[in-house]
Amino acid sequence: MKFFLVFVGALLLGVSIYAQDVYSCRSTHLSFFSSSPLEDIEAKTDKGVSAVNKKTRDIYFKVAINTFQFRKKLMQEHFNENYLESDKFPFAEFRGKINESPELNKDGTYPVTVTGALNIHGVSKMYTAKGTITTRGNVITVSSTFNVRVADHGIKIPSLVVQNVAEVVAVTVNAAYISINN
Amino acid sequence: MKIISTMLLCCGISTYSQAQKDLGKIFDSTAITHTKVLDTYKSTRIVQGQSTEMLRKHELDFRVAHRFGDAGGQFGGSKTFFGTDNSTDIRIAFEYGISDNLMVGIGRSKGSGALQQLYEGLIKYRPLQQTTDNYIPVSLALFGNMVISGMPSTPDVTTASHFANGSDRIMYVAQAIVSRKFADKLSLTLMPTYVHRNHVAYMDMNNMFALGAAGRLKLSHRMGLLAEYYYPFRTQESKDYYKANKGVTFYNPLGVGLEIETGGHVFSITFTNSTAILENQFIPETVSSWLQGQFRWGFNISRRFTLFGKKDWKK
Repeated sequence: MKFFLVFVGALLLGVSIYAQDVYSCRSTHLSFFSSSPLEDIEAKTDKGVSAVNKKTRDIYFKVAINTFQFRKKLMQEHFNENYLESDKFPFAEFRGKINESPELNKDGTYPVTVTGALNIHGVSKMYTAKGTITTRGNVITVSSTFNVRVADHGIKIPSLVVQNVAEVVAVTVNAAYISINN
Repeated sequence: MKIISTMLLCCGISTYSQAQKDLGKIFDSTAITHTKVLDTYKSTRIVQGQSTEMLRKHELDFRVAHRFGDAGGQFGGSKTFFGTDNSTDIRIAFEYGISDNLMVGIGRSKGSGALQQLYEGLIKYRPLQQTTDNYIPVSLALFGNMVISGMPSTPDVTTASHFANGSDRIMYVAQAIVSRKFADKLSLTLMPTYVHRNHVAYMDMNNMFALGAAGRLKLSHRMGLLAEYYYPFRTQESKDYYKANKGVTFYNPLGVGLEIETGGHVFSITFTNSTAILENQFIPETVSSWLQGQFRWGFNISRRFTLFGKKDWKK
């Protein structure tokens, strides 16, 4: 009995300290845009997940590749099947840190840079991206746009469609976080 | 006792500190379930017959299929440039995705067999789609069509093309298609099929069952090797009559092909012994044999367009 109480106590202590600083978002909006001479291609999802730790300034993003929606469904199928191979590499993931130390307990908008490793298609690459963090009451929002060179992540574009798909796509991320205590 | 509690305490702390380091742990429980298997075949057709692939909602598929003349045998060889001077069947069709699992189409075929000048209406519905976790182990599609011949009626009452009334011009196919994609490279399909022709020649069969089997071996992301075979259950009585009285032997349709996807197009290069394109004809009426050089090359071209949805998308 005693040991059980200690166990529960330890667990609660752990979770509460941990939860205090961690904010999460389970409907992170991600989109990407490819602009080429023949075609503009856009895809978006709001099923990404993200978490940020106010204290350590760690930031995390994860999205299932097959949740990205395209207007042309055939393109969506090819994106999953031929390019991102989502059956083998189901997720894209980012682990990074906010370089600055914004005063996140105070309301305001802070321009920041984030550095970390982005894994797409099973290939990791370090990125530093500019973004904005806004604190309003107990909600933190993050937004950022950065460029990804598809070849950097081992994604091959066949010569046949090289006029249709851009070599560099612009990725946009938007997340609104609440404390995981709530 | 004390040791155990201390150990558990340490455990709790270590879980906590690990979670601190890796924020991703929060989302471990949010795994994706029942992901649908995509691209069992590149196209709504395998070699000749239907696959379990569907058009998506608002997609229009413009299809052209062509079968050339016999590559070898009496009518083939260099004098017809291995059959390419002739065409046994040509089909032009528009097919449309009403939803992601329901499609309809209209087509016109030259027709190869007893009836020609064929107008086709088709519908295909996919109630089941295979999932990667095997929650649904196979994809199932149901296909039906109705074909009407526009050719003039022939005077000989024993032929299929003697139309005593309008309904004699009509043929139907009902088919179930069951597919499974194994690993990534291999797809296999079974197609139990029923063909009904309202009016047939003397000693032919109005109702015929057939079992089809097909498969694809993926060679690369954009190319696959196809094979398709149908076994029609024609009665021995009918076979014997045709052989004895008309010198006609029926063969089982076997097709092989290569499917090549290039963005919005899918090209299939096919080799078949059957001369016809529609199931209504190539299943019951194939009388040409691979072994006698009576096979032909052909192609299917599919071009898919996305109609509508532009406004909805911008929102």
